[in-house]
Amino acid sequence: MSSEEILLWIKEQFKNTTELTQKTLDYDNKHALLFYVKSLIDQESLQKLIIKPFFEMANENQFKAYLIALPQFQKVESKEQAVSEVTNGNTLIVIQHDLYLIDLQLATNNQVSTTSVETTIHGSNIALSENLMTNINLIRTYYHQASLSIEYFTKGEVNQQKIAIIYDKELVNTKALEIIKQKLQQLDQQVISASTELNNYLNDKRFSLFPQMLMTERPDRIVYNIAGGKIALILDGNAQALIAPAVFFDFMTTMEDNYHTLFISLFVRILRYAGLFVSLLLPGLYVGITSFAPEVFRTELALTVAGSRIGVPFSSFVEVLFMLFFMELLLEASIRLPKAVSATATTVGGLILGSAVTEAALASNIMVIIVSAVAISTFVIPVNELAFTIRIVRLILLLITSVFGLAGLTLGLYGLIMYLVYLDSFGEPYLRLFNYQKAKKSSEGQA
Amino acid sequence: MSRYYYYLVLINMIANVIASVPAILLHFHDDGAVSAMIVSVVAGSTLVFFFTRFFTHFPGMTLPELLQKTTAKWFYNPFILVLAITWFIAGMITLITYTFLLIRYLTPEMPIIQISLTILLAVILGCLMKTDRVFYTIEIILLLTVPLIILIFIKAYTNENLRWEFVKEAALYFNQFPNLNAFSACFFLYLGSANLIIFNRFFKNKQNFGVKQITLIVAISIMTLFTTYFIPIGFNGVEGIEKLVYPWITTSDSLRMKFSLIERVLFIFLLFYLGIAFLSILIHWHVSIELLKYVFNFEKFKFKGFKFGVFLPIPFYIGVSLYFVRQLNEYQLFRLSGIFYNILIIFFPMMLILFFFIKRRMKNVKKAEQN
Repeated sequence: MSSEEILLWIKEQFKNTTELTQKTLDYDNKHALLFYVKSLIDQESLQKLIIKPFFEMANENQFKAYLIALPQFQKVESKEQAVSEVTNGNTLIVIQHDLYLIDLQLATNNQVSTTSVETTIHGSNIALSENLMTNINLIRTYYHQASLSIEYFTKGEVNQQKIAIIYDKELVNTKALEIIKQKLQQLDQQVISASTELNNYLNDKRFSLFPQMLMTERPDRIVYNIAGGKIALILDGNAQALIAPAVFFDFMTTMEDNYHTLFISLFVRILRYAGLFVSLLLPGLYVGITSFAPEVFRTELALTVAGSRIGVPFSSFVEVLFMLFFMELLLEASIRLPKAVSATATTVGGLILGSAVTEAALASNIMVIIVSAVAISTFVIPVNELAFTIRIVRLILLLITSVFGLAGLTLGLYGLIMYLVYLDSFGEPYLRLFNYQKAKKSSEGQA
Repeated sequence: MSRYYYYLVLINMIANVIASVPAILLHFHDDGAVSAMIVSVVAGSTLVFFFTRFFTHFPGMTLPELLQKTTAKWFYNPFILVLAITWFIAGMITLITYTFLLIRYLTPEMPIIQISLTILLAVILGCLMKTDRVFYTIEIILLLTVPLIILIFIKAYTNENLRWEFVKEAALYFNQFPNLNAFSACFFLYLGSANLIIFNRFFKNKQNFGVKQITLIVAISIMTLFTTYFIPIGFNGVEGIEKLVYPWITTSDSLRMKFSLIERVLFIFLLFYLGIAFLSILIHWHVSIELLKYVFNFEKFKFKGFKFGVFLPIPFYIGVSLYFVRQLNEYQLFRLSGIFYNILIIFFPMMLILFFFIKRRMKNVKKAEQN
């Protein structure tokens, strides 16, 4: 296809918009035609790299050689590629029927930010930026191996977003890589705007509760996981990466666990798992013990609990549900509200949940303590995705307990464990003890 | 041997501390229970040894697969069906025992159907999981429950109310002729390794099973048997011990944790042993459902591409269990489990003879495959 036809086709594509700028450079027998989208390119570098040299060069051939030598130069392979590159911030230059693409993209989102979701005291505090190339640059600066491979996919039929799959060719879990690639190819969403969306699109299940990919904003975590044979997915325009396959224990670790001394990190881990169990079981335990089997507690404690419930007109189940409902509202409100207003919400909410509710005898004092303990211990869970899930599981366990009592709660917990074991994350069992052991000769197979 | 194998053996041993095994043993405390225990250690470990050795010869193969290759169809189908029913009953006995325990000690005012439904609903879908997932579940739940159960045993052993004179007195009955019922109850403790008939598909690599491994199992079993039998006697005395329905529950209720949130050990014991019972039912019914898959072709039941065939046994399992929960009382359950154990002591040695034939015929099959 000749360059005229390509040019005509490109003009046709941009016919009804005013976006495409066409500029003719003409001086001393030298002619060049420039096409670009004004809002996407860096005008300063356009001037410095292309316009100024054009006027200084002796003839067209020298200018052509100069263009090819530029690091931003790209070959034109097809008309579709040319259009998509122009919409990506390239400038198309036509000199004597030859086409040149020069990448002059102006990216305003390539600032590396500091961590805001997974904050740590020790270790790096750099988070991913919203620019894909900057992110890959970040990862490469942390991971110096020739085997680090990056593959690009363009997904989202309408918005054509770039997805990068990053893995170490030599260490990667090949089974998971195949599944992910295959699922990415089958993906047919119209718009993909956040990398976490992929979490839902890449697992086949319609109803899923537990996240099967780990969301992270920390480059050190990505690097750590890639070195462990996992695969990272980053979407352009997103400051979050997804890591797959993810197992349950991944959601319970922070990067800081590796930075502390052994006993400190052991202590913190125990604390975290205790928090997990408290936030899961405490509401159910309260209902089970006050309404079903008060004799389980030692007498003094049972009396204290019963005494604190004097005057409360509800059954314990309604009481817990009532308080949990307000706590969840408060949590949700403090995420959504603008920063200026959120302080008011927490103060008012804190007052309601704190003293007023007990003074009005709508809930017992112990209930208030339990709800706050549950709220605090939910925040201990390091990965946000899991914390959200735990909030739902907690309600399910509460419901089971109010129907089946303490035995129901216990069996509900065992059932939950069984469900987690049953789950898969890209071919890896979701929950298994001693998961990290990758002994070549394991004594048993898989059935 | 892989650690997963020991889980199978261990769960069957400790799950029966709470079932009718101690009650049966204590019932015959002056009539040959002690000597039956001694005999059963020998007989049981012999069975475990030969059973496990047989399966280590065929890594990754289940018993039905071996039977398919070596026996005729008229034998194969009914035999697998009988095995499936046996394993179903084993699970059901644990289920009903625990239902009775819960209604007796934790929630007396709850309808009995509701209690058994709690356990049934929790366990039943798990039975359909893949075999490796069953193992992973076992491992995690064991890790959660066993430390506390061991702590309770230690508390029992170190308790000042445990009178060793009673234990010594009970041990003096060792010179009686072994009682058959007591023997079969003890023998049942060793049948955990029989779950290999399905679970062997997980052990795809060649396993070692020699003197070291069997010694470990014998040591664990002696400890379990000793604890099961003598601790209740140490706490309650020999006089009238045969009248206790749940000797171990009564024993755990005589323990106190003075400074803990929960003072009565009974509740901790009950709730944590629920995990062991859960696993025991899970294992038995998983084996049972997997065996049924070899008899009936569940794959052919489809509705709009959704294969609901594997779910077909579930209503039967729930229905039959609920029927027996309603029909039986504690005494009948006690008798029924006794009869069940008695049948098993004939059934399993017979299976060893069958294994002998399978092994001989498999040699021919292998030769035929090589040619």
